[in-house]
Amino acid sequence: MSEVLAVREVVKTFGPVRAVDGVSFSVRRGTITGLLGRNGAGKTTTIRMITGIFLPDRGTITWVGGGDKPRDRIGYLPEERGLYRQMKVFEHLLFLAEIKGVRGAGVAQAVDGWLERFELTDKRNSKVEELSKGNQQKVQIIGTLLHDPELIVLDEPQSGLDPVNMVLVRNVLQDLRKQGKTILLSTHMMGEAERMADDIVLVHRGRVVLDGTLEEIRTSSGKNTVHIDYEGNGTFLGSLPHVINSRIDINEAELKLSDGADPQEILEKCMGKLRIRRFEVASPSLEEIFIEKVGAEALEATP
Amino acid sequence: MNKIFAVLKREYLSAVRKKMFIFMTLFFPVIMAALMFIPILMMTKALGGKRVAVVDGTGRLAAAFDKPLKPRLATASESARGQKGDLPQTLDIEYLDAHGQDAAAAAKPYLTRLSAGKQKSGGMDAVLVVPANAFEDPNAKMTFYSRASTDIMTQERLSSVANRAMQRQRLTERGITSEQLDAVMRQVPVEGVQLSRTGEQKKGGEMNFIFAFVLAALLIVPSFVYGLEIMRGIVQEKNDRVIEILISSMTPFQLLTGKVSGVALVGLTQVSVWLMTLAGFGAFAAASASMAGVNVLQFLRPTIFLYFIIFFILGYLTYVCVYAVAGAACNTDKEAQQLMAPIQMIMMLPWFMMMAIITNPDSSLSVGFSLAPVFGPVTMFARTVASEPPLWHIALSIGVSLVTILVFFWATAKIFRVGILSYGKRPTIPELWRWMKVA
Repeated sequence: MSEVLAVREVVKTFGPVRAVDGVSFSVRRGTITGLLGRNGAGKTTTIRMITGIFLPDRGTITWVGGGDKPRDRIGYLPEERGLYRQMKVFEHLLFLAEIKGVRGAGVAQAVDGWLERFELTDKRNSKVEELSKGNQQKVQIIGTLLHDPELIVLDEPQSGLDPVNMVLVRNVLQDLRKQGKTILLSTHMMGEAERMADDIVLVHRGRVVLDGTLEEIRTSSGKNTVHIDYEGNGTFLGSLPHVINSRIDINEAELKLSDGADPQEILEKCMGKLRIRRFEVASPSLEEIFIEKVGAEALEATP
Repeated sequence: MNKIFAVLKREYLSAVRKKMFIFMTLFFPVIMAALMFIPILMMTKALGGKRVAVVDGTGRLAAAFDKPLKPRLATASESARGQKGDLPQTLDIEYLDAHGQDAAAAAKPYLTRLSAGKQKSGGMDAVLVVPANAFEDPNAKMTFYSRASTDIMTQERLSSVANRAMQRQRLTERGITSEQLDAVMRQVPVEGVQLSRTGEQKKGGEMNFIFAFVLAALLIVPSFVYGLEIMRGIVQEKNDRVIEILISSMTPFQLLTGKVSGVALVGLTQVSVWLMTLAGFGAFAAASASMAGVNVLQFLRPTIFLYFIIFFILGYLTYVCVYAVAGAACNTDKEAQQLMAPIQMIMMLPWFMMMAIITNPDSSLSVGFSLAPVFGPVTMFARTVASEPPLWHIALSIGVSLVTILVFFWATAKIFRVGILSYGKRPTIPELWRWMKVA
């Protein structure tokens, strides 16, 4: 599949801080790429360079999509709300389209269509400041899509949304992907990334520590992770033999086994102690991979 | 271009829909007029009278003090020349003929009433004692008593009335008739004539003075009001992060162009309404002034309006750019205002010197200011109203302003680029300078 965007060895320094330190990755056409990382990892700075807000100190960002004006071919949703509070929703959306070079009767129609899809039709003539945080976020998302961009860059699109709206946004993004749009999604919600992303770019301290398709990443992390749903006291699970890493929640556990260990032994040990409702041997979850890659040192560093 | 227009349209519409704009546009001329008329109203209605006693030891000044002293108000042309009439106060006079008595002793009851204060009926505000030997003794002194030592206005008025009466009496005693006296004492009034380079003569130029001030105010006020407005707007865009959307959609240059021209249009809209209102007032004033023999319209040459528009735009753009930098560099209104405070004082210089500029429009100071960057537009405009500066001065001033605006605009766009997204503390001016070189 062809690339839409190629980021190569990009560096951005703010005073003494190297926010982005030689980041490289590609965004393939028609995919959803999840840009993951902890707070302050350099996700937002990277995105701001892609959207032309910051110029990189070094490195290149190459737009290989159609058209010579990447500015107008990218739709950008900033991390924090970026709307004029005093403007009315409908007018504001027309303005957002206009600064991307789109105007005319078609836009007004598109705005109304999107407002309906996002259940905001009754808010059409409300001022932005009168809207709830979640509704403002939805308005912002519409503003990102109005000029029919090839690449949609979303920085934490689901912040401030309730579960219903989260599903709504997820469905919209998946529809867009089906229509052949390319989406770059920055998030720290691993669950969302796991549900939607084709490709994963994991940044940590300004560097890419993991890059590939979700499938590759999960397979390369091995197939020997045991996911258990249970009833009872599971605290002993972490200290079982061959368990090298574990996450134990109430009634749910994820155990990473050493190479060559037999999951069957774990199951035997559980019998009699716990009521097992699910026992699965699979790849680790993205959250587990994430914590393993970037969380360990943080946990160690914390006294 | 479409993007610039989109920003321009948004800025313009959101500004003109504000209640403050509508209020200012409709009522600013009224407020200005009120500010001009209230002093006049106060003068005619007076500040309230004063009760004054004159104890006359000579017994010969009765005629001068037999009725209350009404204030003699300055006429419009006098006040335009900077002359003042009397303080708008009527002095009610109690005259006591103390001829043949000891004047000091006769004044006693009045002094008691003076110290008793004004609240009580029959209280006094001042007492003037004229000694019996006032006409003969060259060393004689009148004494003025008051509660407030600062009441020199009343003292001055009473003493001049008394002295004039004594002078007239001394002269009539020497055989000069009353008619002769009038002839001798007659004052010759002065009429101001402005001579243009073409030799054309204009009378009543004092009116020019007022027009120059009013027009200069109209020129300068919107620049500051909307400069502040654009600064606040940018700070708010930064706080609301709209700026990220804007900057990711267009170049800082496009954004700045759209914003500044949008706000400039707002200013022009407002000023046009004001000028039309003023023209309405002017037609009325001209009608009444022409009855007084002054042709006001000769001073409001059509070129003045042309110059007004030109220098308004130039001054406006200069100031607005400076405010835009402050907005781009700061994160809160307060910070931005602190940064602007000293700069504002400097930019206001021509206004502080308006009096000097208008009264001496061709002095080297005025010429220097009118050709300087930043100060040029306001000063040059004031000069074109007050006199007829050489055309090359005007052309040079416009040229200097254009270059200034271009330089400012360029610098602003650069600082915009860096400053607009650097969150954190307010930058110092050396830092701004560094940004300009880096960006």
